[in-house]
Amino acid sequence: MSFARSISREFRFLLRQPVALGLIAVAAMLSAFAVWSGLAETAQQTATIERLLAADAEDRSAALATASDYGGAAYYSFHLTHNPPSDLAFAALGQRDVFPWKHRVRMLALEGQIYETDAANAELAQAGRFDFALVVGVLAPLFLIMLLHDQRASERAAGRHDLLVATAGGGGQPWRARAAVRVGLLGVALLAPLLIGAAIAGAGLWSTFLVCLIVLGLVLFWALVCLWASARPFTGPAIASGLLAFWMLTTFVTPAISDAAIESAIPAPAGGAIVLAQREAVNDAWDLPKEATMKPFLAEHPQWTDHAAIERPFEWKWYYAFQQVGDQTVAGLSSQRRDAIAARDRAAGWAALLSPSALTQRGLTRLAQTDVRAALAYQESVRDFHASLRAFYYPLLFKEAPYDHAMLANLPAYDPGMAKTFGDEKAE
Amino acid sequence: MNRMATIASDEWRYWRRSKLAVCVLALGLILAVGSALLTAGQMSDAAHERAHLQAEAEETFFNQPDRHPHRMVHYGHYAFRAPPPLSIVDPGVDAFTGTSIFLEGHRQNSAMFADRQASAGLAGFGALTPAFVLQTLAPLLLILMGYNTLTREREARTLDQLIAQGVGPSHILLGKGLALAGAAALMVSPLLMATVAAVFSGETVAAAALYVGGYLLYLLIWCAIILLVSTLMRARSASLGVLLAFWVVAALLLPPISSTTAVSIVAAPGKIETDFAAIEAKKEVGDGHNAADPAFASLKANLLQQYDVDRVEDLPMNFRGVVASTAEADLTDLLNRFAEHRMRVEADQARIARGFGWLSPVLGVREFSMTLAGVDLETHHRFLREAEQLRFDFVQSLNKVHTEKLAYIDDINRSRDPEAAKRTRVSAENWKVLEEFRFEPAPAGDRIEASLVPLAKMLLWFAVAFSACAVVGRRAL
Repeated sequence: MSFARSISREFRFLLRQPVALGLIAVAAMLSAFAVWSGLAETAQQTATIERLLAADAEDRSAALATASDYGGAAYYSFHLTHNPPSDLAFAALGQRDVFPWKHRVRMLALEGQIYETDAANAELAQAGRFDFALVVGVLAPLFLIMLLHDQRASERAAGRHDLLVATAGGGGQPWRARAAVRVGLLGVALLAPLLIGAAIAGAGLWSTFLVCLIVLGLVLFWALVCLWASARPFTGPAIASGLLAFWMLTTFVTPAISDAAIESAIPAPAGGAIVLAQREAVNDAWDLPKEATMKPFLAEHPQWTDHAAIERPFEWKWYYAFQQVGDQTVAGLSSQRRDAIAARDRAAGWAALLSPSALTQRGLTRLAQTDVRAALAYQESVRDFHASLRAFYYPLLFKEAPYDHAMLANLPAYDPGMAKTFGDEKAE
Repeated sequence: MNRMATIASDEWRYWRRSKLAVCVLALGLILAVGSALLTAGQMSDAAHERAHLQAEAEETFFNQPDRHPHRMVHYGHYAFRAPPPLSIVDPGVDAFTGTSIFLEGHRQNSAMFADRQASAGLAGFGALTPAFVLQTLAPLLLILMGYNTLTREREARTLDQLIAQGVGPSHILLGKGLALAGAAALMVSPLLMATVAAVFSGETVAAAALYVGGYLLYLLIWCAIILLVSTLMRARSASLGVLLAFWVVAALLLPPISSTTAVSIVAAPGKIETDFAAIEAKKEVGDGHNAADPAFASLKANLLQQYDVDRVEDLPMNFRGVVASTAEADLTDLLNRFAEHRMRVEADQARIARGFGWLSPVLGVREFSMTLAGVDLETHHRFLREAEQLRFDFVQSLNKVHTEKLAYIDDINRSRDPEAAKRTRVSAENWKVLEEFRFEPAPAGDRIEASLVPLAKMLLWFAVAFSACAVVGRRAL
């Protein structure tokens, strides 16, 4: 008997098994719900960003309209930066509940602004969001356990096991075809909603293909584990219990232990310490001689040496110089913290090898650009944008150019594309 | 009584002999103890760090040199949210919200530095805390231990023998239930030790006792459910399948579905979006730095009339200070309106999500635990409100100094005249207006009262599961 014929036989067999069919239908429904709610969430985020962009442009032009000098223009005008959801974000919402994806900055000391988080409802973030990555990473293994653990044990209990092996022929493996049918249908049930979602969201073919590959990889891994376990000479429930214990350990326990171990192995400076130090540096400057600000400023920006004489008690260029010096003072601590977060994330990548579930979710959030690396890249792009604001205003302030409102039309605009290029550079 | 004890101890003997049950129970205990030690270490470190930063922030504020009082308004201050004693069991939203806020004049900043942002982030379902272990994992372990407690006897035909010997169905059920409850109590025991530690760091005995009691009740709900399903199902695999499906729905599906539902029913505008609305409304309040702002014209006219003078220079107080404090008060009113609205929307979302607690005991115990420990959304909101009060008080106290201790004429000339600038510096003694801030948990009585609603959800679950055992389960035996 050919394998194709046994597949079609097992398929017909499955149609008469309500429990297995029901499980596969439930998996399809959960996947569809996850994809739908992910699409709704990302659509909401996109709409929010569009509303904010409009309000931001209006607010800025109102602020700039009343400005009478460049220093005042820079002080009163805010700029919205944003990290739009990628076209695969619907499948893995990832860290977007935890890290900010929208941020307004102005040309004051950045370290005082960058940690502001326009966070979502904390209690809901703590409960987690229902997304496709969760369905695949956490629930799919459970479906596989339920579908596959009992293949032989149930036949054995029913006294048909030996008869089936003896009559099936083809190497005596009726289980292989039966398992292939079940795993294949489960894969279709999980992936069909995803593919529809990807088509709606306009996701790239290559990245969608990679998502499918990850899903299939996880499904195959668990299918093999289940088949191996189901061949052990125990009763069905005993095999299922063992598999469940393994699933629980790899899905919840190893990731949580890894997190704790990584966090204690790689220390990160307390955020509070950064902002305290930054505030001291910025505010002390008011009482210090102007020299104390301009010297460290010029050390980093020698091109303004000839324009750096401060004669009046208050001058904008001195004001922005001490804002910059405030940032310089804590630059070390701040980059230590970012490096620590990135290092923890890299370590988590290795630790994820101990947990198929975490590995899957990391893979999906990477493809969806909703992981820690994408959040850090966004933060970096905000820093770059802030630097470009300084690059725009400094020549006007230091060379004391006469105020010309038309110049402000050339203000740099934030481009969310910056975040992605940065992330990719870092990856290489 | 005797028969029940015999049945219970017989079940324990079975568990001792079966490798799987021993492993599962050992795993549960290791997880409970390990997570308790880990979380206690992490949260007490966090508590020390935040207390230290809070004291440091106060000290640097007090130690600022003599200067213009408005400079101190912009110098600002920090508030840190100290975790409550029971957070060593359940840190709740602590890692998901910023733990510090910068307080300054004319602005309400958002909380910064959510610990979750610095975490390795592998554990999507939550860190290894005693709360997570007991709420999510312990029920699964109990299922693995008890799914066959009666189906096994039925399949082996030992159940009929028991009944034939005259052991009543209630005795069998209660005995089996007692055995499971023993396993549940064993898993709760590390929690007991952790709460004793919490009592030593300031939690009341009443709240701590209720807390342990609540968790015990929660696991008893699961024991009753396991007993019921094991009684009703004819085959072990069916019993395991049904219990597992129930656990997946209650512990894995409903929590994220509850938050997804809440967000799609009530959309919460973010801080930035609220800020835009506030900016729109703010245009009417006036810029407190600019005493010539037309928004203050009537204030000026009233004061001139009240003191019967013609020029602001002749007023017995510094008009600039009056403007600063009026503008701050008006602006704060406005910002508070928007902040309260945001918090109300968040609370509405939380209420919808918590409503799912009637459908899942896991959500019920989650709400119970976070409310009683004081690590829920409301506690974070209270922190935001208290920090705002702290901000408003010190800013207005400084504005009072600005109004009373500075001459208007010096104040307006200070950027031109160095002597006037010197006279507008007030002594650092004035910085003492800043009140010391320690974020305290809400009074135990309030937290206990608030936890009664989720407790009611759990009691209902228990009542239903228990009476189902008593009525349906007994008949099925």
